[in-house]
Amino acid sequence: MKGFPRFIKAFLFLFLFVFIVFPFVPLVLSSISYGWQWPNVLPESFSLRAWEYVLFGSSDTLRAIGVSLSIALIVTAVNVVLAVPAANALARYQIKGKWLVEAILFAPIVIPPFVAVMGIHLTFLRIGLTETILGVVLAHISPTLPYVVRSVIISYNTLSTDWEDQARMLGAGAFSRFYHVVLPHLLPGIAAGASLSILISLSQYLITFIIGSGRVVTLPILLFPFISGGDPAIASAYSLLFAAMAIGTLMGLDFALKRYYRNKKTAAGKTVEE
Amino acid sequence: MKKISLMASGLLVLVLAACSNETGNSAAEEADSLLKSDWKNVTEEAAGQEVNMYMWGGNENINRYLDEWVAPRLQEEHDVELNRVPVNDAQDFVNQLVDEKSADKTEGSMDIIWINGENFKAAKDNGLLWGNFTGQLPNFQDYIDPEAPEVAADFGEPVEGLEAPWGKAQFVLVYDEDKVKNPPKSMEELAAWAKENPGKFTYPALPDFTGSAFIRHVLYETTGGHEQYQQPAAEIADLETRLEPMWQYLNGIEPYLWRKGETYPESLAKQEQLFASGEVWMTMSYDPALAASEVLKGRFPESTRTYVLDGGTLANTHYLSIPFNSSQKAGAMVAINEMMSPEAQTAKLSPKNWGDLSALDFEKLSAEQQQALNDVDLGAATLPIEELEQKRLPELSSDYIEIIEKGWMENVAKD
Repeated sequence: MKGFPRFIKAFLFLFLFVFIVFPFVPLVLSSISYGWQWPNVLPESFSLRAWEYVLFGSSDTLRAIGVSLSIALIVTAVNVVLAVPAANALARYQIKGKWLVEAILFAPIVIPPFVAVMGIHLTFLRIGLTETILGVVLAHISPTLPYVVRSVIISYNTLSTDWEDQARMLGAGAFSRFYHVVLPHLLPGIAAGASLSILISLSQYLITFIIGSGRVVTLPILLFPFISGGDPAIASAYSLLFAAMAIGTLMGLDFALKRYYRNKKTAAGKTVEE
Repeated sequence: MKKISLMASGLLVLVLAACSNETGNSAAEEADSLLKSDWKNVTEEAAGQEVNMYMWGGNENINRYLDEWVAPRLQEEHDVELNRVPVNDAQDFVNQLVDEKSADKTEGSMDIIWINGENFKAAKDNGLLWGNFTGQLPNFQDYIDPEAPEVAADFGEPVEGLEAPWGKAQFVLVYDEDKVKNPPKSMEELAAWAKENPGKFTYPALPDFTGSAFIRHVLYETTGGHEQYQQPAAEIADLETRLEPMWQYLNGIEPYLWRKGETYPESLAKQEQLFASGEVWMTMSYDPALAASEVLKGRFPESTRTYVLDGGTLANTHYLSIPFNSSQKAGAMVAINEMMSPEAQTAKLSPKNWGDLSALDFEKLSAEQQQALNDVDLGAATLPIEELEQKRLPELSSDYIEIIEKGWMENVAKD
């Protein structure tokens, strides 16, 4: 970033402001407005009614945020555990019928999740997984896993097996090779995939509602009826909370990653990008 | 697994058929006894149960009324815990029950559902509702006239005790007193008013629920009354020609609507937004107290008023029901009975809580209870209940609604 001329910096900042910060302004205003009538550009009077309902009412918002975050984090952890070996195989081995495996893995991106979830629902009903967090976690894996696999494959594509061979010659066991050689190289890919996985899991409404049968209450479950019901103040307040939750989680991930790099500077020095 | 449950249900059928008095452990059999036993037994069994109520969750007032008024009272007086489950659309949980039925799920978690109209018909046709339970509820026995047309049939579909009336709604037109001095009281006057005030009237595009209800008023007024439509649509041979004046009327006012009728608000929420921002001067609602509660929230101007057409407006009833596989049926019965009590209905009537009309038969209430209902301050934007009651029109059954919604697309939207 240091080498950029000033005007490019200013332009980027403006771009960031117009497309990311600016859309939040009307949301904030609408969540605290009381009687905001055309043609006033700004509301004439303010009320904390919406925030009071969302934060202190009987709406159980905080619990919903907790449920949303735990589901997203569990889903992402499972995804990473599944995606690393899968990506390893897909990127490095020439297997017969590989295209078929890839097609199945990436199908959820192309096929609307709604189609799959209707079938999943009947099966889960029979084995008693509906209305449970476990069921919702399993159902969230289908739309999120492809993104994690995809980004880890990209990391694997730029990692030659020579590095591992060299480590083996120096006497490193399978675990040491993975932990000290492969993992540091994969980390940026895992972080990118994990961010997508978290965001996609957090924003699921339909899958959570159908599999959770309304008993697993995440933030979107509370938010959606207000958007379609037309209470703009409460819908805005919920939307802001949702954005804060998503941004907060991503920042937490970023923070954890940076700390990891700081501690591992010698081992992973080559992949650090500042 | 499946075989065992099949055998079990087969056995149960045998047991029930034989009217055996043997005590079985089956939940279904126990539930069946709830339909016959004393109310006292029901309340005893209900104590300690946790009841899940599935309902549309997009209105702060309604949510608060249940969480802060109904639930604490149920807990205190009957030891029944009411857990409100917010849903985006009643159709969602009806679909879910269909799946549960086909997967033979006997211990479901939906104990109370809030439905009416199409969703009731779908649930009834698919056998998703428990049974004729309303006769068991003391408040139903005391305060409801089961023969009254607005309680006996739900959008033309016989109720048969499968659902208990919870409240009533009536269509009203909403206007801003400062901008509209003499609101049009008939479809003819409305057409004239629209011409005088171009761009200030519109209605939500069908199949929006409220937009569709508005069109039904046009139907009644332009084609000669509602009586002719009490039979199934298929039995009227010349239905298309009968509907013709309605399309002519709607196409006639179209150039004078908001944005010259080139487009319509896609939902009632959008139309309310237009009214709140002053872009249109009239809106409509199937909830007679909506305007009052929007005024309280500061969204609609203080000068907002409502009125009904001289020829009357459509009215319907919304209901609470118990699904076939509810696992807390006694608790559900107690909760529904409580929500039908005169106290709960009076609290529900206040626009501060919700503003929903009472489902109870006014004549059956004691003088004090009547007084309490009359004393509720409905706000300046709501009509007195007597005026609403005098101008009720029956709803149309869903076969007509489908035909009209399709016809609107072809005859009005496409031109």
